[in-house]
Amino acid sequence: MEKKEQKRHQHKHSGPKADKKNRKKEQGTEPERDERKRNPRAFSVQSAVRMAKTFHRTQDIKTKKHHIPLVDRTPLEPPPVVVVVMGPPKVGKSTLIRCLIKNYTRQKLSDICGPVTIVSGKKRRLTFIECNNDINSMIDLAKVADLVLMLIDASFGFEMETFEFLNICQVHGFPRVMGVLTHLDTFKNNKTLSKTKKRLKHRFWTEVYQGAKLFYLSGMVYGEYQTQEVKNLGRFISVMKFRPLVWRTSHPYVVADRMEDLTDPEDIRLNPKCDRTVSLYGYLRGTFLKNKCQVHIPGVGDFSVADVSFLPDPCPLPEVIKKRALNVKERLLYAPMAGVGGLVYDKDAVYIDMPSGHGSQQQEVRPTTELVQSLIGTQATLDAKMAASKVSLTCLMFSVLIVRKQNPMESREWDERAQRERRRAVFADEDDDDDDDDDGDGEQESDEEEDEEEDDEEDEDEEGVTTLKKHDKTAAETAAPPVKKQKCEVPMEMPAFADSDDELEKSEEDESEEDESEEEEENEENEEMEEGEPAKKSSGPDSGLCSEDDDEDEEEDSDTDEDGDGTVKSKMSSKHPEEENIDTDDAEMEVQNGHNLEDLAQKATEAYLRHQLAAPNLRKLVYGTVAEKEEDDSNDEEELGGLFKVNRPEKSKKVRADAMDCSRFQPDNSHDWDQEEVRSSIRDCFVTGKWEEDKDAATLLKEDEELYGDFEDLETGQVHKAKTGNKDQAEEAPQVKLDDDEVQKNKRLEKKRRLKERFDAQYDDGDATYFDDLKEEMQKQAELNRQEFEDVDDEIRVQYEGFRPGMYVRVEIPALPCEFVTNFDPHYPIILGGLGPSEGNVGYLQMRLKKHRWHNRILKTRDPLILSLGWRRFQTIPLYYIEDHNGRHRLLKYTPEHMHCGATIWGPITPQGTGFLAVQTVGGIKASFRIAATGVVLDLDKSVTIVKKLKLIGYPYKIFKNTSFIQGMFNTVLEVAKFEGASIRTVSGIKGQIKKALRTPPGAFRATFEDRLLMSDIVFLRSWYPASVPQLYNPVTSLLMPVGQKETWAGMRTLGQLKHDLGIRNKPNQDSLYKPVVRQVRHFNPLHIPKELQKALPFKNKPKQMQAKGKTPRDLQRPAVVREPHEKKVAALLDALSSVYAYKNKKARAEQHAKHKEFLKQKEKQEAERQKRMKEERKKTYRAMGQKEKKKLKSSLKGASKDN
Amino acid sequence: MEFEGCNCFRQRLVLSTLSGKRVKIRNIRSKDDNPGLRDFEASFIRLLDKVTNGTRIEINQTGTVLFYQPGLLYGGSVEHECNVQRSIGYYLEALLMLAPFMKTPLRAVLKGVTNDPTDPSVSVLKRGMAPAGGGEVLFTCPVRRSMKPVHLTEPGKIKRIRGTAFSVRVSPQMANRIVDSARSILNKFIPDIYIYTDHMKGASSGKSPGFGLTLVAETVNGTFLGAEVVSTPQGQGDPVLPEDLGRNCAKLLLEEVYRGGCVDSTNQSLSLLYMTLGQQDVSKTLLGPLSPYTVEFLRHIRDFFQIMFKIEQQKPGEDEQKGGEKVLMTCVGAGYSNINKTIK
Repeated sequence: MEKKEQKRHQHKHSGPKADKKNRKKEQGTEPERDERKRNPRAFSVQSAVRMAKTFHRTQDIKTKKHHIPLVDRTPLEPPPVVVVVMGPPKVGKSTLIRCLIKNYTRQKLSDICGPVTIVSGKKRRLTFIECNNDINSMIDLAKVADLVLMLIDASFGFEMETFEFLNICQVHGFPRVMGVLTHLDTFKNNKTLSKTKKRLKHRFWTEVYQGAKLFYLSGMVYGEYQTQEVKNLGRFISVMKFRPLVWRTSHPYVVADRMEDLTDPEDIRLNPKCDRTVSLYGYLRGTFLKNKCQVHIPGVGDFSVADVSFLPDPCPLPEVIKKRALNVKERLLYAPMAGVGGLVYDKDAVYIDMPSGHGSQQQEVRPTTELVQSLIGTQATLDAKMAASKVSLTCLMFSVLIVRKQNPMESREWDERAQRERRRAVFADEDDDDDDDDDGDGEQESDEEEDEEEDDEEDEDEEGVTTLKKHDKTAAETAAPPVKKQKCEVPMEMPAFADSDDELEKSEEDESEEDESEEEEENEENEEMEEGEPAKKSSGPDSGLCSEDDDEDEEEDSDTDEDGDGTVKSKMSSKHPEEENIDTDDAEMEVQNGHNLEDLAQKATEAYLRHQLAAPNLRKLVYGTVAEKEEDDSNDEEELGGLFKVNRPEKSKKVRADAMDCSRFQPDNSHDWDQEEVRSSIRDCFVTGKWEEDKDAATLLKEDEELYGDFEDLETGQVHKAKTGNKDQAEEAPQVKLDDDEVQKNKRLEKKRRLKERFDAQYDDGDATYFDDLKEEMQKQAELNRQEFEDVDDEIRVQYEGFRPGMYVRVEIPALPCEFVTNFDPHYPIILGGLGPSEGNVGYLQMRLKKHRWHNRILKTRDPLILSLGWRRFQTIPLYYIEDHNGRHRLLKYTPEHMHCGATIWGPITPQGTGFLAVQTVGGIKASFRIAATGVVLDLDKSVTIVKKLKLIGYPYKIFKNTSFIQGMFNTVLEVAKFEGASIRTVSGIKGQIKKALRTPPGAFRATFEDRLLMSDIVFLRSWYPASVPQLYNPVTSLLMPVGQKETWAGMRTLGQLKHDLGIRNKPNQDSLYKPVVRQVRHFNPLHIPKELQKALPFKNKPKQMQAKGKTPRDLQRPAVVREPHEKKVAALLDALSSVYAYKNKKARAEQHAKHKEFLKQKEKQEAERQKRMKEERKKTYRAMGQKEKKKLKSSLKGASKDN
Repeated sequence: MEFEGCNCFRQRLVLSTLSGKRVKIRNIRSKDDNPGLRDFEASFIRLLDKVTNGTRIEINQTGTVLFYQPGLLYGGSVEHECNVQRSIGYYLEALLMLAPFMKTPLRAVLKGVTNDPTDPSVSVLKRGMAPAGGGEVLFTCPVRRSMKPVHLTEPGKIKRIRGTAFSVRVSPQMANRIVDSARSILNKFIPDIYIYTDHMKGASSGKSPGFGLTLVAETVNGTFLGAEVVSTPQGQGDPVLPEDLGRNCAKLLLEEVYRGGCVDSTNQSLSLLYMTLGQQDVSKTLLGPLSPYTVEFLRHIRDFFQIMFKIEQQKPGEDEQKGGEKVLMTCVGAGYSNINKTIK
């Protein structure tokens, strides 16, 4: 076994051998390195076909790796990542979320209820949502999840819910899925543990993908998972990358983390079941959300949004990104439904929770908490609530304005309310003060009310006081100081209240607050404006104009128009004077700014003004001012034309409604093109005109010369030097030295760029593929998208783009059913899914569908089915069909077992290519695997193309050779006329054609066939009858169910269920039943051969005349024998004797038989013994022989060795 | 959505069809002596009905109230007898907006007036002048799933001018006279001018006499600016001299050049629509001053698609002589995709 250490080979280092080797090495390195050269034959082309094949294959593999490049539309500040924690009950979901939250924020959350948002890192926030064990929640959350933590109880193994959820995910775009194994500490045996892990891992891989991450949480310590493991999991989550999913990148959606009922309490008092107005809060995800768009709330229905506004981020990312980890202040946690961020939802009340532990910290960290607190009083009246919220909001807004130069939308909402008061108070300081005081008082009152109410509640609930509530109470008490603080701030806020509907003026007022003298000036200005003096000063910041101002402006415009009728200026250019006004105003503003430049608010104003100047009157001309728009909105948009009215010049006003619909733009006062100067004004629009500096042929040539000018003429030996432009510039240099440097630098840069471009064009772009070009194009577009509105104020930007993903928005939805509020349960996710244009409509959808292979029953046409498609869950009645080879859609009664088929439903219009899944019920678990089918939308239409086979049957009643008269197929002559020329067939396969209707009986017709029919034939006509799809579209309203019964929604029942429930047995059609086939015996007539023929036949074939046997004649009949008594005796004796003999014989034979058996047995025994003996003997002899042989061999070996 | 009056009738119906929102228009010429919808509008509605599937239209007794619930755009082969009150251009402008978003490629044969003074002309199979018409146009358009973002910010310089002078049922000399007069003005700017004369005879000349001129200026960057003038219909208004007509048309073209932009004033709305219906990316187009029609269109776009354009004015530079002010329109597309097209 052991190896012997062998002596190693010693290389020669000197001597002839070493020299030879060295020489060889030196020479041999070159060819050896390149295999192709060394062994060319091995690399020569053996087969052109194979070469082509391999080439194709490599190209295929290469192109398969390509994806269609998409424009990168991820926002700069992305919304929090939605992490859905899913698993069957009792698997440890809440514990895991709690541990993760503790890991990220060092805070403990007792009850996980609703989404929890945290800041997990410098650039990432997470929203945790727990998915309860209800297929509705599973479906909804699969549509919004970015990451799914799939908890699996290792001690039990996979449960059906896990697979169902995976399949749901697969249909709605696969989010990232990470498995987490829990309950691993229940395994006592290490081996079984590792075996289970492996088994589960591989099963998980087949479901998700090979190598999908499966995390192990080994055990619990004090009811929590091990810190290290949770930390690792947290790290995995925070570095995870996500792919964009088609549906989500094209639809905006909000996972609501806060809900508020805004309905007037009076209305509720009068009618507790009245429709509610509700505002929902949450981060906007997906894509841009437009105001007034349609949304779908899964589980509730379709609604149109009344108002969207963006709020300051309640859980913002750290503003300054440092290298180090987050500090404690930046680790924010926001979960209003779970009671963090100020609120605890109870069944009939909402408690304000303010942990007193680090109160000072909280004040600093989140003013939003205060906002939340003040926004929601339990049973305070709405007005009080609103007022309270407003005050705090404006306070907040003020701070935000200073810090971030942005304004939350909430302010606008307040404006709507207080607008009229505001208008009155615009110019007087005292009024403002009064207003503010009032507001403040009101707020105080409401706060007091709140406190009282809370106290009351406490009293009522005295018996059931829990520690939590005590805590709340103390919290509420501690909450008082900040409220007071707000009150202290009120005088500071005043100016913010003294404010009109426009943001700009507001900021102006802000300035005014700081500089009293300025304020006065402005007031004067405003007064002037009111008096209607020439608007030279007044029209200043244009965006801020209210409608009156606009009117003034317009009048002014028209005035100038009238004045300048004779001039050459077009209508557009007549706007100039006003712009000049703005310019002057701008100058004024700048002067003002000179007073206190440091003020940030003023800077914001300035930026805003600048923007306004950039887009001056056209915007107003087209859309009206922002303020007006809002007004219109509040007027319930019944007058859409209304906003046009204000801005329109007088003359067009008259003809507005019924004007000529023509796209031509006839100039009002066209230029006189005969004049030279007018003509020269467009001189440069033609190629013959002057070109821009950078495109002019002369300059280009010059630059080229600079680049390539240096060359030596080899023939003549002349050296050409490029004339550098430096000389010329050098002369100018003394004048502007600094500029010159800059110019030089730019020029060099330009030169470099040009050179590089040329180089690229020559070498790189040669093999740039279409794919590369496309990618580059997308890149450019993405850059443009980012840059276009980057520096625009959010308020304005929102109008252009819509609300962009990542914003924290408040969405107000009117006319929600009251059950949504009364049966609200924060454990169920509320999702606002935005709908694209025309996705709110209903129509016929054609889809490709396949029964899920794990669902154990096939699906029946016209059985109601619950589909999850787009954002929606709804019940509908599908019709299944299959496409025939000629494109016909033939109705199927049942879905095929293992094949795709088509399905047509009446449902919401959803873009093609959207996946869907179907379940038979959402209430309870009846099937072993609930997902009945999956598929994809193919086509949308307003009509159906499914047809059903229809056989019309008729019977011939008269037959003339190949023509027959057929009846029973139709009822009238008209019907026949419709089918003239149609092909018909008999059951036996004779084809024919309908010719013409007969007068009597009605519906009978003449038909011709390829052969003569029999009267017993049945004629049928194959035709196709269009099937109609029932128009059932019944959204699943599971969120409206009472708390605790949300998973019991039941829609329309199937026919089978109905019959089962009502105990109706089907009475089958007697004809359809299977009965034993009884065939009647056929009787054939005897063959009759004519006599003549018989005669002619040979004897062999002649029918043999087998005549019946007649009566035997008397002489042939044998007589009966009558025995004598003696003879009888003899016969009896003989009989007895013979029977005795027979008995004896039988007995002897039996004996003989037995004996023989015995004999055979013995013989067998003997034989066996003999065999045994023989065997032994043989064995003996063989052994002897073997020994002999051995001996012989031995001896021979010995002999041989001796020989050697 | 509810509107009043018959102004922007086409815009409203077209945008309603594209956005799937139902529209109710009240008070259509309710104060007029002849209230209600005109024949050409009814004909337009009929055309919409032909290219769509499942459209519901309700008109009250007097025709002053119209309710329109759009169906799905179907396309396919369509033949339509357009009303002679308006030219085919009236109908075609709307079809142009709808055609790329149909289920099957559109192949429309429109019959009626091809040229009249109010609506844009079309190039034709058979020419037919107002008032009797008799012209024929074939329009085909493939379908798209989604539109790419538009970037037209550099109009470039005009390199050539092309045009067609046509005359039907009048002396063929008319066209030549038009060409001469038009050239006399345009030659001062650019030498590369070619104006075809197109004299139609017999069946292809329609039913009424008339003549006209269409001019197109093409720039280096491939944008086109067009202008056209057509003689007044027979028996309506003063007769026009071909020389005047040619000169007017040339001046109109110059006016168009003065306005500038990448799209001429009649097609502004079309380009804006395609920008709106693009993917959710930024589109930019440089236009001349916005025509009233376009302004209306912008408002309608906001109502139907909630999309506002960022409108920036670009003033011409000091020493540049490139005509009047330009307007840079910027918007983010609605992320519209053709929901009518079938996938296999």
